[in-house]
Amino acid sequence: MNIFLRELKSHWKGILFWSLGMVGLVGSGMAKFDAYQSTGQSINQIMNAFPKSVQIILGISGFDLTTASGFYGLLFLYIALMATIHAVLIGSDMIAKEERDKTSEFLFTKPISRARAVTGKLLAGIAILAIFNFVTAISSIYSVKYFNRGASATHDILLLMVAMAFLQLIFFSVGAAVAAINKRQKTSASIATAVLLLTFILSFLISLNDKLDALKYLSPFKYFEAQDIMAHGHLDPAYMALSGIIIAALIAGTYYFYSKRDLNV
Amino acid sequence: MNIIETKKLTKYYGKYRGIIDVDLQVEKGEIYGFIGPNGAGKSTTIRTLLGLIKPTGGSAAIFGKDITKVGPEIKEEIGYLPSEVFYYDDMRVIDLLKYSASFYKKDKKQIEKRIQELSGLLDLDLKKKIDDLSYGNKKKVGIVQGLLHEPKLIILDEPTGGLDPLIQQKFFNLLREENARGATILFSSHILSEVQKMCSRVAIIKEGKIIKIEKISDLIENNTKRFALETVKKADKKDFQIKGVDDLVITDHSVTFLYRGKINDITREIAKLDLTNISIEEPDLEEIFLHYYQR
Repeated sequence: MNIFLRELKSHWKGILFWSLGMVGLVGSGMAKFDAYQSTGQSINQIMNAFPKSVQIILGISGFDLTTASGFYGLLFLYIALMATIHAVLIGSDMIAKEERDKTSEFLFTKPISRARAVTGKLLAGIAILAIFNFVTAISSIYSVKYFNRGASATHDILLLMVAMAFLQLIFFSVGAAVAAINKRQKTSASIATAVLLLTFILSFLISLNDKLDALKYLSPFKYFEAQDIMAHGHLDPAYMALSGIIIAALIAGTYYFYSKRDLNV
Repeated sequence: MNIIETKKLTKYYGKYRGIIDVDLQVEKGEIYGFIGPNGAGKSTTIRTLLGLIKPTGGSAAIFGKDITKVGPEIKEEIGYLPSEVFYYDDMRVIDLLKYSASFYKKDKKQIEKRIQELSGLLDLDLKKKIDDLSYGNKKKVGIVQGLLHEPKLIILDEPTGGLDPLIQQKFFNLLREENARGATILFSSHILSEVQKMCSRVAIIKEGKIIKIEKISDLIENNTKRFALETVKKADKKDFQIKGVDDLVITDHSVTFLYRGKINDITREIAKLDLTNISIEEPDLEEIFLHYYQR
């Protein structure tokens, strides 16, 4: 409990800034929707005139940009990217910080097992992710409502927030596992972020090239794509199960490797 | 029962040597010195005992319990002060100490009282931010957090660096009090005089191996000093044919040598010479090892 509280306390400034950033992203993103909405169908025609590959790179393929939920679906790609970057950094920071800041010698000469310390840190991390998800949900619902003149998008937004929670947890676990295995903690955050960006880019490459379709399991961004979720009205259970397995494996790995290895002091 | 007992404790970092076959028995209530040059394996031994790093061979028990099996339980009764201290920069001293206290099962009120006592004694400002402290003051925080739970075993790894002489004195007195209360102390250092002052027995470690375990009384008997004399005329080599003299260098107006033995024996000889100056210094450990423990 002491570690949990300590981690929340040391991260509160970060939570605040990231939350402000997210509110800014959602707010400014939806402000653009106002302009799109007033054009009627013509914006969709312009967008459809782009080659397919350009549409994919811009993230606009498959969305009706004149509806609030369609436009939010486009925006969700960037929201998810920001949330996962945040998650991967929190995950690696939680595990890496004691060694990076040389406080591991202080903490682990106290009567506490490494596993118990990891538990406190992971729970604190998950609480931070939950706060961030909550802030994103609230700011999304309100800013969409503010600009929307059509059908309500709240249901779609809530669905996408569930998808975002899965993505957050996956990359949080990636960050934690990288830091648990890696001994040179200054590099943990960069390695974990590199993994994130690679899977993000991979998701684009897969969309651009049908031959790469088999690789979709390697990129969590492919598990929960906004257009699919909004079209089906639910998340794909198979991908939810796969995410659960990935998260469980990475968390187990975090405990295993962090408990077993020599600490850098 | 020995408070610390290691059997052939070995640690390799990959291919690199940490410690090899270290056997230590620290008895209850003693202040046990652990001495050796830098890089000899003192910190490796201590960090292994504390479970920060994992042994690659042998075994170690503290309070009769295997360190690899019940680490957290053992640490309830250990206080540790490392040579370099690092704490959370954003915390105030009192927050850090309370955070430290929160890990122990002991009565929080008693710990709080102890924090006040110790910080008063060491003149430590509890309201300051860790980030704003000088190195010496950070070290004081280290002393307080190492002693606040009144541990049964105190482990010190080159603890005096950065402490000014006055605080050092207070710190040594504190340790003697803790010892009188019943605490066992493992005191690692590369400064011989420090260990001589505090300890009853000493283990000497070199290149990862324990090369000798001595009683301090024997060490003092075999007190090693570096002498530097300035003489009016060139001294005769014959005057220094005394047992215990080593590394003798005589020039026109100076004589330098290492001496290990009873001080009276050598001062009597020196008194016969016509001197313009004399200095008698503590040799550094490297020198002692070079001349006495090499063989």
